[in-house]
Amino acid sequence: MLILLSILFVASGVAAGTTDRLSEEQERCLECHAKPGIIKVFQNNESLDAFLDPNTFHASVHHALACTSCHTDFSGGLHPERQFKSIQQYRIKSSIICRRCHADDQISKHTVHTGVLNTGKPPVCTNCHGSHGIVRISGKGAFTNEEQYCMKCHNRPVAMHLKNGERQALVVNTLSLKMSVHGKLSCSDCHFGFSSEEHPERMFRTGRDFSLASSESCRRCHFDKYTKTLESIHYTMLSQGKLNAPVCTDCHGSHEVAPAGKERTASAKRCQRCHAQEYDKYAKSVHGKALFNDHNQDAPVCADCHTAHTIEDPFSLDYRERIPEMCSNCHGKTEIVGKYGLSTNVVKTYLSDFHGITLGLYKMQKGAGAKPRKPIAVCTDCHGTHGISSVRGSDAASVKSNLLKRCQKCHPDANEHFPDAWLSHYEPSLKRSPFVFIAGFVYQLFIPLIVIGFVLQILLHIWRYAVNR
Amino acid sequence: MKTRYRRFSTARIIEHWLQLITFSVLVVTGLSQKFYTLGLAQWFIMHLGGIDMVRLVHRGTGILFSLAVALHIGAAAVGIVYKRWQPSLIITKDDIANAIHNVKYYLGSENYPAMSGKYNYTQKFEYWGILTGGLLMVATGAVLWQPLIATRFVTGEIIPASKVLHTNEALVVFLIIAVWHIYNAIFSPGVFPLNTSIFTGYLSRERMAHEHLLELARIEHSTPEEMRMLHPEECPFEVMPRSEGPADPPKDP
Repeated sequence: MLILLSILFVASGVAAGTTDRLSEEQERCLECHAKPGIIKVFQNNESLDAFLDPNTFHASVHHALACTSCHTDFSGGLHPERQFKSIQQYRIKSSIICRRCHADDQISKHTVHTGVLNTGKPPVCTNCHGSHGIVRISGKGAFTNEEQYCMKCHNRPVAMHLKNGERQALVVNTLSLKMSVHGKLSCSDCHFGFSSEEHPERMFRTGRDFSLASSESCRRCHFDKYTKTLESIHYTMLSQGKLNAPVCTDCHGSHEVAPAGKERTASAKRCQRCHAQEYDKYAKSVHGKALFNDHNQDAPVCADCHTAHTIEDPFSLDYRERIPEMCSNCHGKTEIVGKYGLSTNVVKTYLSDFHGITLGLYKMQKGAGAKPRKPIAVCTDCHGTHGISSVRGSDAASVKSNLLKRCQKCHPDANEHFPDAWLSHYEPSLKRSPFVFIAGFVYQLFIPLIVIGFVLQILLHIWRYAVNR
Repeated sequence: MKTRYRRFSTARIIEHWLQLITFSVLVVTGLSQKFYTLGLAQWFIMHLGGIDMVRLVHRGTGILFSLAVALHIGAAAVGIVYKRWQPSLIITKDDIANAIHNVKYYLGSENYPAMSGKYNYTQKFEYWGILTGGLLMVATGAVLWQPLIATRFVTGEIIPASKVLHTNEALVVFLIIAVWHIYNAIFSPGVFPLNTSIFTGYLSRERMAHEHLLELARIEHSTPEEMRMLHPEECPFEVMPRSEGPADPPKDP
């Protein structure tokens, strides 16, 4: 019995040695390939990193194979200098080696390969499975739904090769997907054309091409939002070839789409990725401080002024003319600004002053193609745009000093008296603007009095005339 | 005996036409700006070519109106100083007394209306109301037109103050014309359908006797008492002793 146990112990030790330790050949190859910096350059000047992480390889299903089992041109003493036109050519040739062990019959049993094998093009195994880090595909067909089927691969670090030599990660975080607004959808609801029966091979030049194509899926359900984006500055930029202009997935994410408008801080931060300067100014503004420091959900975020989808050119005349309307969405509503001791009179006083009236009438006559000779002063001209400061305390002085500068943009000869023509949103009173207040007050009394006087005189005259007759 | 008398010279008739036209244009272009929220005002603005055009027309007409006012004051000053015109539009104590008298007459405590000279008290009040209002609007209109020049000399508050004065005074003048003047010149039972004297320059002797007895007496070198005795049917007044007697016939301003 003891002899038998000893034999089993030795045998298991040998077995462990064969699986946990690298072979001599593997160790010899890794002497060089485990060091970063080994680059293979192809005839078209594309390059490929020939570095191999021993741990990755050790975790792969092929860890027991000798290097030369796949890299058949090489041996212990032979390391030929091979020439390939491109990475793609190299990968196609490498895939031929895969299929020496994994025959077409075996591959075609998996429906996911159907699309790959039927394209007429040589399939590139490493595009999906990787090279030295190949792991076992588990599941064995026991999938209860489409998501399980897809996640069999896509919950692993799978990636696709792009024509520019980069790799596009295709891993999906299951938890994020479940938590997202699309948690109850099937994968093929968005990934149209993919299913447990179909998995067409797609090739993209760059990662950007991939995300642009992916975002097209959104319009199948969100067509109203999609059509709005067609009028946006972002779409205009995109159609002009500026591929960095954001599309659906850039703002909403792909598998982790959160409910719109629920988290206003996150909404503001989305824009930061491209509009960092504006975001920094906003973060320091009275609105940004309220949002980030006080978590005040009344504070406006980017989309409140710029809208979420119909994002207009902020330098356009149309946009400029709508600024008072945007500000009045909050500053014209007592239920919003009243909480902070702010008056809704700011909107009324602007709209009833020269600039406000002119702006309103220009908007009305827009159909006739009328354009203002000069841009009409709107809220942001005095208060700023992203860096809007408080009109209380120390910030008030900067608002006042900006006023003369703004006046001088359209009225170059304006002197220091000129800004006083604007009553700073205050209703005239004896304390503030007494001349204006007294003049208005006198007429408020005088006009009804003369009307009453005239009417009485006329009625008395008619009455007397009738009596005389 | 003449059946009609010359009441206004050709210069006054032209002046009235000028004021009528400029005032109408200023009212339409000005009040449509003041009441810009009303549909009718917006209709006017849109059909007059937009707000820029309305402002341009308003300012241009304002200049014409200002010139007409300046010409009127200049002519009156020259006429009174050098040509010995009677300042017949000056408000006197009699006008106050006539106003009180007429109110009593309307209420039934007087039997006859007050007698008047060339202009009755309502015409004088109307004239001075429009003249002072016009001057105020000329001054405040100039400030609103050239705010940069105005603020070189005075505080910026002059701009909103001018706006309040200009627009409210415009309303006052409009009401004087639209209610009072139109009633007296058109709808008043004694003159309906129209007092044509400012267009023809003449007023009938009968109307003179009814409305300007003192002026008629002065022209005919008579006294109100004599006129009543001679033609009681023409003179619906109770002739009372007046402080203002007949004077030499004035030249028509």
